[in-house]
Amino acid sequence: MTAADVYAILPLIVLGGASVVVLLGIAVHRSHSLTLILTLTGLVAAFLLLPLVSIEAPRQVTPLLVIDSYSIFFSGLIIAASFIITVLSYSYLSQQRGHREEFYLFLLLATLGSVVLVASTHFASFFLGLEVLSVSLYTLIAYSRKEYGIEAGVKYLILAGLSSAFLLFGMALVYSELGTMKLAQIPTSLSNPSSGVSQVFVLGGLALIVVGIGFKLALVPFHLWTPDVYQGAPAPVTAFVATISKGAMFALLLRYFTVVNIHNYPSLYLAFVVIAIASMFIGNLLGLLQTKLKRLLAYSSISHLGYLLVAFLASGPLAAVAVAFYLVTYFVTTLGAFGLITIMSNSDRDAEDPEDYRGLFWRKPWIAGSFTAMLLSLAGVPLTAGFVGKFYLVTAGIGSALWLLVIVLVVTSGIGLYYYLRVVVAMFASLPKGSTIAPAMRISPHFTGALAVTILVLLLFWLGIYPTPILRLIESMVTGFS
Amino acid sequence: MDIVFYIASAVAIICTVMVITRLNVVHALLYMIVALLSVALVFYTLGAPFVAALEVIIYAGAIMVLFVFVIMILNLGPQTSQQERLWLDGRIWVGPTILALILIAEVAYVLSTHSTPAYTITEISPRQVSTQMFGPYILGVELSSFLLLSAVVGAFHLGRRRQLYPEEIAVSAAAVEQNTSPQGDIQPEPQIQSDIHR
Repeated sequence: MTAADVYAILPLIVLGGASVVVLLGIAVHRSHSLTLILTLTGLVAAFLLLPLVSIEAPRQVTPLLVIDSYSIFFSGLIIAASFIITVLSYSYLSQQRGHREEFYLFLLLATLGSVVLVASTHFASFFLGLEVLSVSLYTLIAYSRKEYGIEAGVKYLILAGLSSAFLLFGMALVYSELGTMKLAQIPTSLSNPSSGVSQVFVLGGLALIVVGIGFKLALVPFHLWTPDVYQGAPAPVTAFVATISKGAMFALLLRYFTVVNIHNYPSLYLAFVVIAIASMFIGNLLGLLQTKLKRLLAYSSISHLGYLLVAFLASGPLAAVAVAFYLVTYFVTTLGAFGLITIMSNSDRDAEDPEDYRGLFWRKPWIAGSFTAMLLSLAGVPLTAGFVGKFYLVTAGIGSALWLLVIVLVVTSGIGLYYYLRVVVAMFASLPKGSTIAPAMRISPHFTGALAVTILVLLLFWLGIYPTPILRLIESMVTGFS
Repeated sequence: MDIVFYIASAVAIICTVMVITRLNVVHALLYMIVALLSVALVFYTLGAPFVAALEVIIYAGAIMVLFVFVIMILNLGPQTSQQERLWLDGRIWVGPTILALILIAEVAYVLSTHSTPAYTITEISPRQVSTQMFGPYILGVELSSFLLLSAVVGAFHLGRRRQLYPEEIAVSAAAVEQNTSPQGDIQPEPQIQSDIHR
């Protein structure tokens, strides 16, 4: 590694260094606010280094990582989302008892793993980044050490372990046939006729890798963990699982299957089509049956990843832009929704019963209004970020004439609208006479959480009404790669 | 050498099946040790003596011994000695011993014949592994260290004995008082007391 290499990966070094500083800080003096400040400083420093690093881009740093504008864009998105989640966690953990400081250490490490994922060009960095992310998430999910948290953590541990085994076996198959784990060399080894490569093993390997990726993205045949983990995890951690973990994995999926052109593998392509359609239908249909809010958002996220696959399969020049923009809107909206659940929650439990939200508008109009905006954006109603994002997905799909997928996307969005609106209606309903307010409703939002949510609401409308600047940014950064 | 590979693989598969079908943890562990040893032999026949040595030292040696200790420690109680006698019953050694003997015979055969395998093998020395690790894959090593950091701190956090909160201490103290008051001068259960102070 040369000095220029070290310079290019400075944001990662800062994230890793920040986690060590937080660790030592906890060892010296346990203080919730000090840990928060250290964490936020690390995240801000890593974020501010990204534009400086982009001067060097694109740069291959050892065989493992590539620092190009694509990875820098997604790193920025991940670090910004991690900043918001850290702020939300502070207001969440302030009400909790027990050790709170280690939480931030795991947040930083999980962020580091995600940033490695989006910069990965080698199976080794893919797997290591994924494991750093997953192992941190096991603890974060079970962090409260209450029964349901432990249950969710164990479920995630076992299923993530299983999916990692699939992933590793797939990588081993590809490696045994092609003799390389470097992403850039895979297409050239494949097309080399003299090497006697067996397409069956490569295809089988790629399919197993897709299983591993599909688990992390909670696409339909691999989605069974999602509702339980979403429900059992603390609300800020659920936000992390829903946004950063999935976003990083999707960015990786797009990079890998753009290099290994998915159109060369009709059977794999067909599998993705089936997965996309199943995710959109099952996510939305099962969402209709949910009463708990966090479970509802879990099924909602399954369907949103299905929508994203439409643009992924389109894979034109517009596709990468559509995916990146949709991920931005999905991040803003999902963080906002879970942020509101966070500030509504108290030390006993997270606010997820429909009763917690009944008549909310008449008591806390700002919270109810923000929540309505988030849910409408998830449903894709005009003037919100979700609408513009979905518009781009449909445009990308039509551009590649994926009519079936686009029709399914539109139909299932219509189904999904119903369950989002059901929550909205509950918030505007009047409280029955003489009913007592549920304990979770006696809220006085911590100002940090309220601030984070306010920023997200403003972003939501900004992206929905005037998305041009962010679109320009995405076009300049993301298209260079594909 | 081919036949050695296949026998070792068969032993590995049999052992692994036994591991996941045993109801007693210690029995499963015995089979698991043999499974790891046979995987080491598989590595050796494939021309990776360094990985084979690591497999024996780290997995079959350090990690498995740790496993056995943890399980023995967790089962503390009055019936422990009885239980251990049951575990170490002669019959349970038969299966793992036979499989291990097969492996030993194979090792002896390999070492005595110096047979070369039918397929070409490039042997990888520890030196080559090290230069790769600290050359192009240095970031992988660093990432592994973060992975371990996360795992260690996570295990610490989840495994730590939970502190009791003031109201819970009050509740358990009241319970102690209620239990002991009819008997007069009997001391409160020391078990609960020590839990509170921890």
